[in-house]
Amino acid sequence: MIQVPVERKVLSENERVAAELRTALEVTGTLALNFIGSPGAGKTAFLERTLQLLRAGTRAAVLTGDIQTENDAIRLGRYGYPVRQITTAGACHLDARMVEKYMWEWRFEEFELLFIENVGNLVCPTSYDLGEDGKVVVLSVAEGEDKPLKYPGIFRKAELMILNKVDLLPYVPFKAELACEYARRINPAIEIIRTSAITGAGFDQWMSWLDLRAEKKRAGNNRAAAASHAGAFQQI
Amino acid sequence: MHEMGIACSIIEAVEKELLRYPGCRATKVGVRIGEFAGVDGESLRFCFEAMVKDSPYAPLELGIEARGGDELDLGWIELDEMETGRGQAEAPVPHLKEACA
Repeated sequence: MIQVPVERKVLSENERVAAELRTALEVTGTLALNFIGSPGAGKTAFLERTLQLLRAGTRAAVLTGDIQTENDAIRLGRYGYPVRQITTAGACHLDARMVEKYMWEWRFEEFELLFIENVGNLVCPTSYDLGEDGKVVVLSVAEGEDKPLKYPGIFRKAELMILNKVDLLPYVPFKAELACEYARRINPAIEIIRTSAITGAGFDQWMSWLDLRAEKKRAGNNRAAAASHAGAFQQI
Repeated sequence: MHEMGIACSIIEAVEKELLRYPGCRATKVGVRIGEFAGVDGESLRFCFEAMVKDSPYAPLELGIEARGGDELDLGWIELDEMETGRGQAEAPVPHLKEACA
């Protein structure tokens, strides 16, 4: 009997496809965000409000994942942006191959923003890289404030936490400060924005965050392009 | 439960690795699971054993090493030479591929 080392990711095939997607998104400067949250956290309503508030002419698209039904795509499709529903038929998460399959007839360069709404689940989607620029975790005040401690994986990997449904705070025993403290305990760098998709509270801050993040992506893209040109120039 | 998909990925990785070792069979595969990987080790073991049972890979075992980060990596494979000289790589397991599709 011999033991041979195998240094590779278990999800190496997913990682390969995700890397290809990321490269394609880098080339086009498209900002892709992967929204992850429990069922009922308000991900779809949040994205609906976001699409409503985008500046006219913004080139955005949405992929929305669910186990069954086209309901979310119908909801999100009302705002004039391309939307595709990914029905996973039982799978509890999206993976990079699904995103690749559903993106194939879109051209990345047509979009500056790509929103990916994952299947409602705080655990499984955490393991799967979709080639996105960042993960956004959506937590609602109708849940327990200790979710960041119970499901640390996603709070550790997310760069932004949306604390959603804050319009319900007067009616529920949710301790918002404690939820934020727990999230920062897991991930000190996580940014937090409190929103309500019903009242629009917090969306000014979210849309500014989105603008800044998209600008950062474009700037990074331009720097990479400049470095590439400089490299080409040096080679000459 | 995504542990079934992860079990499939582990078996696929073993299949690929065996191509490098003709005439060998895998007896155990080791994975490293970080506490933030979002994977439950016991669920993964349950799924893995269910997939391997009654397959040409039986009795392939799963070894789990707990880690502190968010890694989900293959670490090692234990191999035995098969007496027939016909390794598992030459004995494909289509029903596993179908299950993982």
